[in-house]
Amino acid sequence: MSTIAAPRGGSLMATVASTDHKRVALRVMATALLFFLAGGVLALLIRAELFSPGYQLVGQDRYNEIFSMHGSTMIYLFVVPLALAIGVYFVPLQVGAAEIALPRLALLGWWLLVGGGLTMWMGWFTQNGPGDTGWTAFDPLSDAANSPGDGMYLWIFGVMLATVSGLLLAACVLGTVVRRRAPGMTMLRLSVFTWSMLVTCLLVIVGFPVLLVAMSLLFVERQFGGVFDGSGGPINYQNLFWFYGHPVVYVMFFPFVGAVGEVIATFSRRRFFGYRAHVGALLLFTALSTSVWAHHMFATGQVTVKYFSLMSTALIIPGGIEYLDLLGTMWRGRIRFGVPMAFAVGFILQFLIGGLSGVYIGSPPLDYHVHDSYFIVAHFHYTLFAGSLFAFFAAFYYWWPKVTGCFLRTGLGWMHFALLTIGANLTFFPMFFFGYDGMPRRVADYSSQFTDLNRASSIGAAFIALAVLAWIANVVVSLARREPAPSDPWEGHTLEWATSSPPPRHNFSDPLPPIRSFAPLLDARQPASEERAR
Amino acid sequence: MLVALVDTRKDFEDLSSTYLLVAIAVFAVVALGCLFLLLRFRAGRRGSPSSGEEPGWLPFAYAGFLAAVIVVLLVLTFSAQDRISAKADRPGLRVDVTAAKWNWRFDYPAQGISQIGGDTRPTVLVVPSHTDVRFRMTSIDVIHSFWIPHVRFKRDAFPKRYTEFDLSFSGTGYHTAGRCAEFCGLKHDQMTFNVEVMSPADFRAWVARKRSEAP
Repeated sequence: MSTIAAPRGGSLMATVASTDHKRVALRVMATALLFFLAGGVLALLIRAELFSPGYQLVGQDRYNEIFSMHGSTMIYLFVVPLALAIGVYFVPLQVGAAEIALPRLALLGWWLLVGGGLTMWMGWFTQNGPGDTGWTAFDPLSDAANSPGDGMYLWIFGVMLATVSGLLLAACVLGTVVRRRAPGMTMLRLSVFTWSMLVTCLLVIVGFPVLLVAMSLLFVERQFGGVFDGSGGPINYQNLFWFYGHPVVYVMFFPFVGAVGEVIATFSRRRFFGYRAHVGALLLFTALSTSVWAHHMFATGQVTVKYFSLMSTALIIPGGIEYLDLLGTMWRGRIRFGVPMAFAVGFILQFLIGGLSGVYIGSPPLDYHVHDSYFIVAHFHYTLFAGSLFAFFAAFYYWWPKVTGCFLRTGLGWMHFALLTIGANLTFFPMFFFGYDGMPRRVADYSSQFTDLNRASSIGAAFIALAVLAWIANVVVSLARREPAPSDPWEGHTLEWATSSPPPRHNFSDPLPPIRSFAPLLDARQPASEERAR
Repeated sequence: MLVALVDTRKDFEDLSSTYLLVAIAVFAVVALGCLFLLLRFRAGRRGSPSSGEEPGWLPFAYAGFLAAVIVVLLVLTFSAQDRISAKADRPGLRVDVTAAKWNWRFDYPAQGISQIGGDTRPTVLVVPSHTDVRFRMTSIDVIHSFWIPHVRFKRDAFPKRYTEFDLSFSGTGYHTAGRCAEFCGLKHDQMTFNVEVMSPADFRAWVARKRSEAP
């Protein structure tokens, strides 16, 4: 029982201090999406500079700041917080809880994200500019001698604050799954999305503290020196960084593949295929992902390449099972091909390009050539942009009626989807070719042999910008001229659809339906199937 | 006695085409599978959607199939890895590589030759073809990476640390580009070098000429 009066609806106090997990999640998402737009502007500057060889728009110095801040913003301030925020909003609903565990910590998680993001971006106002050593900040390039100035310190503090923010948000989601499940909600009745959030939180808790250690050591190195001069040398920083850096790749993947699983099951009007295999695959993914970090370091010549190649290639097994489940869920369904489903299928096909190129670079002899080239840039943008972001948009169109109580426009939605599909592939597919042919990443100038494909890529970036504008227009139109949505517009399977849209302060005003499987609302709709499933 | 020459380009091309073939096949199966499912099971067809569970053995059988694919890929990868990381007992030429912001220096200790470029003139790495060349590499400041796209190989250069690897160059009488691949600060994009591959006879003539030029 709280003795503090809950802040009222739209007041300023409610905006900054409400501990309602739904409001916290929306604020984290809004913050992350603002950083997405800011990082997107940097991406457009990068593509504008690379439209031609030589220096046009920005010089070498500014270019290095721009790509470093683009990557740092997108990873630390956009995709990771966004992924966790989706869990902060929907996990309590999906497990039938009235409230998230540790709500004040969740609120603090949002505040630390805002503080961390602003700290990192304050670097633009320092004399030497913001952090300009990539999103990885390898020592010794990031030490005081090679990267002097306050911007680099602000970058370190920003990363640390955003990392603590992620830890807090993950702790709240994990605590909710462990402690706040409704009666009847056993672990093997958690929804597909909630399971993916659960393993995401495990990876945050394994990986993020190691990044805090790496950043602390980098700070000490810059202040006092000597940290990475020992026997191992600078490779120690890389080991610490990538021990965080690979698990975080799955933090930026699991929540989105889980959301796509929900979308496909709902839009195929059938029970998710292979639920237990999905849970097993996620756990296998999680276990393997703590033993693959050095595949980012094959070219250093200082790691046991065969071991890390074996572990990385073994990711084919859980990855393949996830794909079997997603496609299997369409099998013998009755598929409604709406906008969320289109984005979900876009995710399946485009993420696959990212995944298959990932198998390719998991082979050291192949990685020796394409590592640090644009091939890698293509690879991870296919996983993160053409993959996770498409999955986010599937989730966005799917859950928007639940969150706001109104529909997005279908016409604008298709325009958004078409522009983004053209833009993503036109931007990122050519990168495989000019990377393979020898163009390194992180350069403002390049050999004229790569001009044509770079131009195609830059034109693709313009399509992405238009797609984002179409999306924003859809949001604005939807909120300004509301088309009210019922509580369960898609005939969903999971508990968030058993409450009003948007859900009340404590999530459920009516008694929960009986929970006898991971799809309780589907059970209620198809009593016969529930018998068979049990 | 020379062991087999390290032909990184050929090993790369062979392995790459196998991986690419597998990738294209998988993509085609999934893409056609999606198309089939979306058409075959579209809404509006008669009958109700499936309500049963999948057979329990399916994921295990499928995982076994995937494991077999992994074994094939790894056998190919590991044998290529062994070939390209092999070192000759007695290399035909030794070259010491020194990377620095933002230039390269190539020293030929046995020949007493140093190749150093300038701001407008990249350093030239001159190598004889069909010869096992032993590179010994270090950096004097940050981490750099020695990348010759033509031979499909790169290796990082770390400060206070020596990295050794062997390469050989097939074909004669051509130039190709090399460059730094690891982001190393302000002028990373300008940190290039040129590679000139000569026949062994031409290389000997070049060495003699360089030594006569030396003061």
